Amino acid sequence: MPSVGPPTTTSPIIAVDGLSKRFSNGVLAVDDLTFAVEQGQVCGMLGPNGAGKTTTLRILLGLVRPTEGSTSLFGRRVTPSARELARVGTMIEQAAFVPYLSGMRNLRLWWEASGADWPPPGLHHALEIAGLGPAIDRRVKTYSLGMHQRLGVARSLLANPEVLVLDEPTVGLDPQEMRSIRQLLQELAREGVTVLLSSHLLAEVEEVCTHVVVMDRGRLVASGTVGELMQHAGTTAYLEVGDTARARQVLSTLAGVRSVVEAPPGLAIELDPDVTRAALVAALVHAEVQVETVMQRHRLEDVFVGLVGEETMRQ
Amino acid sequence: MRLATFRTDMAKQGRRARTYVALGVMAGLPILMTFAFKYGGRGERGDRDPTELFRLARQSGIVVPAAALAALSGFFLIIVVAVFSGDAVASEASWGNLRYLLVRPVSRARLLAGKTVVAFLLAWIATVSISLVGLAAGTIAFGLHPIDVPLIVHQSVGQLLSHLVVVTAYIAWSMSAVVAFGVMLSTMTDAPAGAIFAAAGFGIVAEILDAIQPLGFLRYGLPLHYLNAWTDFFRPTNSIIGGASASFARAEMWRGVAVQVPYVVVFLAVAFWWFGRKDVLS
Repeated sequence: MPSVGPPTTTSPIIAVDGLSKRFSNGVLAVDDLTFAVEQGQVCGMLGPNGAGKTTTLRILLGLVRPTEGSTSLFGRRVTPSARELARVGTMIEQAAFVPYLSGMRNLRLWWEASGADWPPPGLHHALEIAGLGPAIDRRVKTYSLGMHQRLGVARSLLANPEVLVLDEPTVGLDPQEMRSIRQLLQELAREGVTVLLSSHLLAEVEEVCTHVVVMDRGRLVASGTVGELMQHAGTTAYLEVGDTARARQVLSTLAGVRSVVEAPPGLAIELDPDVTRAALVAALVHAEVQVETVMQRHRLEDVFVGLVGEETMRQ
Repeated sequence: MRLATFRTDMAKQGRRARTYVALGVMAGLPILMTFAFKYGGRGERGDRDPTELFRLARQSGIVVPAAALAALSGFFLIIVVAVFSGDAVASEASWGNLRYLLVRPVSRARLLAGKTVVAFLLAWIATVSISLVGLAAGTIAFGLHPIDVPLIVHQSVGQLLSHLVVVTAYIAWSMSAVVAFGVMLSTMTDAPAGAIFAAAGFGIVAEILDAIQPLGFLRYGLPLHYLNAWTDFFRPTNSIIGGASASFARAEMWRGVAVQVPYVVVFLAVAFWWFGRKDVLS
């Protein structure tokens, strides 16, 4: 269990406030982003590649300086090497280590660099999670990608952190390893650890997260609980039709249709709750478009496609 | 606590094969030179021996490390020192490990300070390796003798040893500008090879510029201009003139010590400033 921190419980554990980052090459990676993660939430950041997820996490950890706005952890503004980072476990993009040192030596030197005494409180648990067995004493350069990632997760847990910030934590893992990482996150969440994780795997977010932040082109598109987001999306129909372009044209003009997005090989259509699928099919048949498949889906993926699609069409 | 970053970085270097390869080359070359002095030909008049130390090395084993320093400090030592310094931060960046060092409550300045001290220390160890191995090999090959050229020069074993200590420290310090330059570039790139080549290039370009006589007094400000100022300590000259040339050498060496200072201050100031504010994307 995480220790009871200083009296900062009224403010969110993680707060991102009006955050913008323009890199020196002119790219606006994050654009006026605001969201918060409360104690005990597992928050997933969703967004296509280049949405600004990784940049946001790097700013949150003091690696990148924001152009505008700020981030805070435990109610204190984040600066490079902030003291609060001792209570945070992280993995940013790929896990990375000193290649010629063993897994164990990497953990040890990384831990000791801050002046902390070896062994750390979470060592036993972390090694169990990594599950590397005797390979922990082998040079990291002999590790597979999955072993790297597992060692990375282990490193993030060494301090028994109160907050986990993970960027694509399951990249490079096989399905079984992915499953065990997800179970781990759920287990940690039950113990009260606050988690912020980015992912482009919607199923992962749907399974693990309580809350979702959706980003696109550096901006916040939506945020809330997974349930709220589903509701916001209304219903989503999935159609496979003979003439996609024509169908798109017909459906876009139809009342009650919020968006029409290509979801190859078909179309994902976001509808107001009162519009039926039958109405869609009727409209298409009337326009002489062949309808091959009609499905209704209610999954986060459609919400995501709808949200990011909307945003894309608006620009 | 304060030494934590230094200690962990030293442990990293101490477990790295490359550290030993680099130091091994520095230790191996004096041995090779000793073999050459011992078994090689006497050489022709006019062969390159600008410091005259090669000829003198056969008289006393203590001159062997001095000859080795003279031969290696202008190129090989610069390369090795560039490797240690150019790699300091950039290697971590190239592995992707730098971001993990920085997501902890350890200030960037402290992290860089640890790495900078390690780079300087390894540069000094490389220099001392040349001296120690050269001294050992020279003693085995030629024995510990005073230099004795009747009526011209006499230097006792004790004098020669104390000269050697001073000269080793002097050359180690003379690498400072190159080390500081390497550390500075190392904070700016994620490609260690680039920083290493640039640091070595910095030293070599400084020497090439120094060889261009028409540059006049500008050469006196170059970081390696005084690198060989110490050789008169060992050179057999007339004892009266010899005394004068030794004091001239001493004055030149103090200038050599001083000329490093502005380079070190500026390069390290830029390094700390840059590293403190840079966006870590590697």
